[in-house]
Amino acid sequence: MASNDSGKTLLIVDDSKVSRMVIKANVLAVHPDWQVMEAGTGEEAIALVEQSVPDYCTMDINMPGMLGTDAAAQILQAHPSVRIAIFSANIQEAVQTRAQQLGALFVAKPVTEKSIGQALLHFRGPL
Amino acid sequence: MSILNEIERDALTEIFNVGAGRAAQSLSEIVGDEVRLSVPSVEVLRSGAIDEQVLPRTRGRFATVSQNFDGPFDAEAVLLFTEDRALSIVRDMMGSQMSLDELAEFEREAMCELGNIILNACLSAMADMLEITLNSSLPQYLVSSPDDISARLASAQGDESYVLVLHIDLVIEKHQTDGHLIFLLSSSSLHALVEHVQRYLGKIGLG
Amino acid sequence: MSTAVVPRFRAEDVLDQLHGGLIMLDAGLHILLWNAWVARHSRVPADQALGARFEHVFDERVSPALLRAIDNTLGYGLPAVLSSALHRAPLPLYPDHGAAQAAGALAAPARMVQSVVLTPLDSPEGERLCLIQISDASNSVRREKMLQSHSDVLKRQVGTDGLTGIHNRRHFDEHYAQTLQRVGKTGGTLSLFMVDVDFFKQYNDHYGHGPGDQVLKRVAAALQGQLQRPGDLLARYGGEEFILLMEGLSPRQAAEVAEALRETVYALAEPHAKSLVAHRVTISVGVCTRAVQEGMDGRLLMSAADAALYRAKLGGRNKVVATD
Repeated sequence: MASNDSGKTLLIVDDSKVSRMVIKANVLAVHPDWQVMEAGTGEEAIALVEQSVPDYCTMDINMPGMLGTDAAAQILQAHPSVRIAIFSANIQEAVQTRAQQLGALFVAKPVTEKSIGQALLHFRGPL
Repeated sequence: MSILNEIERDALTEIFNVGAGRAAQSLSEIVGDEVRLSVPSVEVLRSGAIDEQVLPRTRGRFATVSQNFDGPFDAEAVLLFTEDRALSIVRDMMGSQMSLDELAEFEREAMCELGNIILNACLSAMADMLEITLNSSLPQYLVSSPDDISARLASAQGDESYVLVLHIDLVIEKHQTDGHLIFLLSSSSLHALVEHVQRYLGKIGLG
Repeated sequence: MSTAVVPRFRAEDVLDQLHGGLIMLDAGLHILLWNAWVARHSRVPADQALGARFEHVFDERVSPALLRAIDNTLGYGLPAVLSSALHRAPLPLYPDHGAAQAAGALAAPARMVQSVVLTPLDSPEGERLCLIQISDASNSVRREKMLQSHSDVLKRQVGTDGLTGIHNRRHFDEHYAQTLQRVGKTGGTLSLFMVDVDFFKQYNDHYGHGPGDQVLKRVAAALQGQLQRPGDLLARYGGEEFILLMEGLSPRQAAEVAEALRETVYALAEPHAKSLVAHRVTISVGVCTRAVQEGMDGRLLMSAADAALYRAKLGGRNKVVATD
């Protein structure tokens, strides 16, 4: 593991507690020293980011309140250095394109070791 | 035995939302426009409780597509829409120039396929996330009165039977409609399903 | 079947007498079963089909929705249906020649309306196979007309190129066949234009595929702006190839139209640092105009237009070659 990859903070945004746990468990399995914050809605995520900017973020799309893609857009506007991976069950092309336009990575659910691997690669860049 | 706890319900909702996402993608490729399909909630009820919760006091009939499946658990999966909602879905899928008469000609086929896509997507999500294999029958389309449906649900698996009820929201061509997806299971099948969900949760440190 | 009962008929004979199609595929999409009904309506004989890969056994494209459904059935073991209402004709299958041929040879008849069912099957060796059952769903003239004229979604599905929004090759081929037939009866000329964006590969390599896609969209829009009459047809025929069909032009008029097409793309002034002919995106156009005879083979007109396009390229690109 590269030394500049340790101690990162990750914000997980998803309205499903189970989903958040799956992502958290899979990420901590690879990077046990990372700090994980959680939010259940886009609004909550934006508020958390204002308090403390994470290095990385995973974002669901369909949540109560604002769409995850809109929340991601707002976060990136204010803090363009945050790397975002959009994890969603909504896998249509329009959505994937929107994610890419924002500069975020799109990953289809279900969350698996492999799809987490794709997100991690996006976060830290290739080793 | 207990019916689902909150975490188990959350897990099932996630699984069905993954299925809904897949179904929406297939449908959007057929329709040529964005389709949104989501499962806002999942609950388990005793089959007797269906009447008040699921079958609203409508005068009309219900359009149903059902598939029987088996594997580690058996169930009958039934997708339910009110009949006029089904026709408007068919219109959205096929094009708004058709009259109701013309649509009725295609209703059975189009609904069968719609139901098959949604049911298969849910089954495939279950298969992937719970790591199981399920077999299914081909879809059957039936239009029934609310009484027929109650009777069907009541007799399905005998006394000790449960119903897993999913409320679904479907948006095609900017028209929103909603329906239900019901899984009729015996208590032993429900038990087996819950066990698999717990195994899934256990793997991620939540069980 | 149990060994105690000796069958008095062969299973293959039953399959070949079946009034409906049966195809069996393995996980690699190789054809293991191809009954007589399928052979007859696809015009592909069994000895050619067996062992071949499903996507390659036909001359024409098989619908992507069908391929995805087959993938799912093989992958998850779940049965699927493709209704004629939502798919119309996923396989290149045609009705029997019969009466159609007697009425006068068609350049390309319309596909049979189909209902398709996919069911998974496990072989005795535990291999998962996919059985495809096809039935003819064109069971009423009224229904057929409804599908043809009303179904927006089917039109969209079969007709439109995803990127540019204009018609796609499939739509063009069908329309071309129908137009040849019609003009063959009434008399008149058809002009077929083949258009190719010059140095497009070099554009993609230099600017990237995203900008390449944008250029194709702009070229498509520019070409579309040159269409005059309701009968004129423009389609995206390939990666950077477009095709146009127009009726009732003289060879000279067609040449003028071709020049207008070339000019309208030139006027876009899309920078193209890697073009060897001009520092902007250009097209080469080949056009052939012919009087249509009944029963004429459409492919001759196409290859003449193609040859003209080739000469335009050889002649330096950003060029029009017209022929008759």
